[in-house]
Amino acid sequence: MLVPVFDFKLKHRINPRMVTVGKYDGIHPCLTAATTGGKVFIHNPHSRTTKAGGRIVYSGTDQDLVFLNINQAISAVSAGRLDPSSDADCLVIGTQTNVLAYDVQNNSDLFYKDVSDGVNSIVLGMLGNRNTPIAILGGNCSVQGYDWEGEDVYWTVAGDNVCSLALCDFNSDGKLELVVGSEDYDIRVFEEDELIAEMTETEAVTAICPIMGSRFGYSLANGTVGVYDRTARYWRIKSKNQAICIQSFDLDSDGVPELITGWSNGKIDARSDRTGEVVFKDTMKSAVAGLVTADYRMDGKTELICCSVEGEVRGYLPAPPELKGNLMDTNTDQDIVRELSQKRQNLLLELKNYEENAKASAIQKPAGLTAMDGSDVGIIPANTQLQTTLIVRMESEVEPTMSPELTQQLSKPHIELSVTTTNSCIIRAVMIFAEGIFEGESHVVHPHQSRLANSIAIPLTPPKDMPVDLHLKAFVGNRTSSQFHVFELSRQLPKFSAYMLMDQKVPSPAGSVTFHLNDRAQRVIMWINQNFLLNEDLELSGSLHLNFLCIRDSSPLRISMETNGQVVIETDNMELAGDLIQGITSYLNIQDLQTTAEFSEEMARLKEILVKVDEFHSVRQKLTAEMADHSNIIRSMVVRAEDARLMGDLKNMRKNYMELYNLNKDLISGYKIRCNNHSELLMCLKVVNQTIQKAGRLRVGKYKTQVISSCRGAIKNNNVSMLFKVIRSGST
Amino acid sequence: MDPMFLAYSYFRRRRFEDCATACGKLLEKNPYDQAAWALKMRALTEQVYVDEVENDEEGIAEMLMDDNVIASVSRPGTSLNTPATAQGPTSQAVRPVSQSGRPLSGVVRPGTQSGRPGTMEQALRTPRTAHTARPVTSASGRFVRLGTASMLSNPDGPFINLARLNFSKYASQQNVAKALFEYIFHHENDVKNALELAAMATQASQFKDWWWKVQLGKCYYRLGLFRDAEKQFRSALQQQETVDTISYLCKVYIRLDQPITTIDVFKRGLETFPGDTHLNTGIARIYEGLGDLNNAVKYYKEVLQNDNTNVEAIACLGTNHFYTDQPEIALRYYRRLLQMGVYNAELYNNLGLCCFYAQQYDMTLTCFERALSMASDELMADIWVNIAHVALGIGDTSLAYQVLKLALASNNDHAEAYNNLGVLEMNWSHIDQAKSCFLSAMQNGPHLFEPHYNFATLSEKIGDLQSSYKGVKKSLDIFPEHIDSKKLLEKLQEHFSML
Repeated sequence: MLVPVFDFKLKHRINPRMVTVGKYDGIHPCLTAATTGGKVFIHNPHSRTTKAGGRIVYSGTDQDLVFLNINQAISAVSAGRLDPSSDADCLVIGTQTNVLAYDVQNNSDLFYKDVSDGVNSIVLGMLGNRNTPIAILGGNCSVQGYDWEGEDVYWTVAGDNVCSLALCDFNSDGKLELVVGSEDYDIRVFEEDELIAEMTETEAVTAICPIMGSRFGYSLANGTVGVYDRTARYWRIKSKNQAICIQSFDLDSDGVPELITGWSNGKIDARSDRTGEVVFKDTMKSAVAGLVTADYRMDGKTELICCSVEGEVRGYLPAPPELKGNLMDTNTDQDIVRELSQKRQNLLLELKNYEENAKASAIQKPAGLTAMDGSDVGIIPANTQLQTTLIVRMESEVEPTMSPELTQQLSKPHIELSVTTTNSCIIRAVMIFAEGIFEGESHVVHPHQSRLANSIAIPLTPPKDMPVDLHLKAFVGNRTSSQFHVFELSRQLPKFSAYMLMDQKVPSPAGSVTFHLNDRAQRVIMWINQNFLLNEDLELSGSLHLNFLCIRDSSPLRISMETNGQVVIETDNMELAGDLIQGITSYLNIQDLQTTAEFSEEMARLKEILVKVDEFHSVRQKLTAEMADHSNIIRSMVVRAEDARLMGDLKNMRKNYMELYNLNKDLISGYKIRCNNHSELLMCLKVVNQTIQKAGRLRVGKYKTQVISSCRGAIKNNNVSMLFKVIRSGST
Repeated sequence: MDPMFLAYSYFRRRRFEDCATACGKLLEKNPYDQAAWALKMRALTEQVYVDEVENDEEGIAEMLMDDNVIASVSRPGTSLNTPATAQGPTSQAVRPVSQSGRPLSGVVRPGTQSGRPGTMEQALRTPRTAHTARPVTSASGRFVRLGTASMLSNPDGPFINLARLNFSKYASQQNVAKALFEYIFHHENDVKNALELAAMATQASQFKDWWWKVQLGKCYYRLGLFRDAEKQFRSALQQQETVDTISYLCKVYIRLDQPITTIDVFKRGLETFPGDTHLNTGIARIYEGLGDLNNAVKYYKEVLQNDNTNVEAIACLGTNHFYTDQPEIALRYYRRLLQMGVYNAELYNNLGLCCFYAQQYDMTLTCFERALSMASDELMADIWVNIAHVALGIGDTSLAYQVLKLALASNNDHAEAYNNLGVLEMNWSHIDQAKSCFLSAMQNGPHLFEPHYNFATLSEKIGDLQSSYKGVKKSLDIFPEHIDSKKLLEKLQEHFSML
């Protein structure tokens, strides 16, 4: 059993996910965390002259704490080397509006920058080919990098709010790649500013941590924790609690780091990175706020330090080798006994079942009664097969007894998954397990006893365009049997299954993308056959003209390809066009592709938003000035009122405090206006960043990088017409 | 003569009032005469113009309700708020400290006189007793006074009605906008409107005019938005380096209590403007504030290398030499100050002291006499205390006693005088008088360690060990390295352990 080597309380709350450790003087590690009231505290037990031996006894912990005033709600904290000329770490603090890189040792700023996209996550390190560290900030749809002088050296866009960042050697080339997890459930990997991989998860990605080599752990907002090696997922587990933070640390001294997870219910567990098996667990009194690793006792051994939101701090040393990786409590034997007896119970039940069946078939029975007899014991004909089909339907029949939600789903266009047995056996229930389509990832259909039949139709409406594996378990049996046979099978829902092929003309969409493919149309058709849900495979007939209708919002999509390789995708949805292009090019193995895009509606919206952003900025400035003015007056009033109080002039004091009260009310209402203004501004900026991201996705390879960087340049110079040109033509 | 030309001529001769009236007449004839309008604005501005860089005292409110400083407790030597522990060559025993716990400087500047008070009561009481005119906030005080003065001079309303002014129209006219801005900022003292104008103007110039950025920064600084100010100044410095902008940026960092960054900025400025007096003085001041006198002296000397008439550098170096036991050299610096045309009571007082320590007794009393003849009431007490010091030096205790009484007559809460008087009374075994003297000294000079120590010694002598212990503790709080206090404490501890 592994016990903490130290355990102390800081008496200050710690904000979740905002814990870090920095060596601000280059030698002594200091625990640093954000706390309430816009403050960051630094716990430095090393500055004391007298040092207790062996296990440090932390007595008056309060005197070891130093507070830093930030005066804004802190959203991210990270420490690390930033100045290449010094060994000391620098503390980077992010808020919703700005970022501060602070030299704690010298009480001076390295830089202070306004970041209009906000900062949700910070990581420090050497990205790609750089030989100096940079601070990478993940914000509202954007990722920015600053060097130690505050120069803006890196910029790229992510599809949605960035929640987590990590540096990891993803493709094992000895250089670090940036792994970005965002609110649109995607994990993206950037090599410099080129997107090299993209994985879709089922919820917002709240944390990512590099483990070893190309392996990294991740956690999701719905309580999932898992490990990826490159693009392949090793394992994942799901809990009803939320994983607050993850960290990799070799706790059992086997030379391979484990994935340590801190949960919202205070649980800490360490899981093997290969299997996800729990090797150690412990519980704190309140939710875990952060996990860090540092040599906190300065004895040459690195500890795992766990902090809870209530300010409890625990340190664990890696287990000594004599424990042989057996870190758990010794009552595992009991667990095993319980587990095995459960297994035995199940096997006995199964055995009994088979015996019954055998008995039934052994009995000599009169002709014509076999089926009837079989129903008692759950026998079904040996040749029973389960067939599944997926078709897109405009609407299905609705029966009055159906639930309102189902009725609604059926009356709208949807994908129908029908499960049928080949004979008269009925399907008692179907369990579908699929990521990202259902709430909670699984769905059970069990018709009423009176409506049992040999086929079931299940409507599906995937919210996003992504390939989904449907794992089905159908309970098949006779109408009266109490035991059923389980059929397991899986089907794949193609990526663009939500688009229905239409025979007649669909209304012509306003937006379009045009590009040239040097490939045969057959291959494009093959791609379409694979990625769309079609009743029968398409055949080539000269030039290609296909009309689709989206089942989600009935918007049209037209794909056409001329014999000379000219491809036109017409849709109003820029994102869809981007997805299609990315799909086609990766199928056809195209490295670089330049396209011309016309999305007049999207552009008009963007123009409006940019005008709005300007307005918001000027309003904000005015509000800020007003607030500062007010707060100056308030300060002087406080002094005057206090002065009156000290002089015993109660009449004036009362007057002053009344005025103060009124002014304070003004200030609060002003603050509310400012808040609204800010959140709207954020929304607008998000749309701008998303549009740039979509414009980038319309291109492939170097053109994509080029589009994103030129868009950034245009926005920096406030050049709107340039921005539009870049989005349209892909170059300046 | 052309009235416009006349107005210009007035302006150039700095007869701003005449200029303003001349322009006023022109405007009566033609209200749309932009030249006259702009000139009048400039004339009115010049009347109240104050050097923003130098004259800026932090108000009581800012000092107390300060939330701009990042680190609450920072390492010694990295913050202007925490007084440095004796790390330089001088200790408190040799060189007295000001109320802020910093060693006395050679010149009185805004912010050198008192430090950060712990409580509101202390903050409010100190200015009343210490004869400072510290404003309530830096946004009130000087600025509000000037604003109202401008109202009075125009009985029929202000010259420009800001509420009715169309800022966006003038922001794009660069020739009028700058004059208008300065008028609003300095004369009307309406920072909010000035900020609005500057923001529009900098936009109109497509963020290419560094001047507007500096003005924006000034507005933000005045409003207490130091981070925004920093951004503007930095951006302005990228376009055009000027000493003025650098000084402003440093002021921002001082407010953020980041002296090391400030010194960095100054030093970077020195690369562009090598040997600039202002920048060097700035660095020296910061080092002085940090208590790093070696570096301060180095930079003051650098200042004198480049400008040998710089009064501040001469005075500070003189003070430094005086407190490092070189009164003769200090004397030469002070005489240099006399040559520079500084002719006041403080200087003669210092000269007197230097003469005394340099054993030029004949000059000592003459200097003090001259000082007394020029001194104001507040200063008088200080001079009398120094004379008492001289009297003690020559062993004339009765003269010292009388002179200290005189000091108290001119300023009845002079802590040093009370303390010295207490010592005299103690020597004459007037226990009760001595005690009350020390108590008043403690009350009036919370930054002094001497009365606490003296009180402790007195209490120890009469056997009141408890009070003695308390006194010596307080003395060590203020000056932890004081040897005599430490010894007394040891003695007391022995006593207590024996009990």
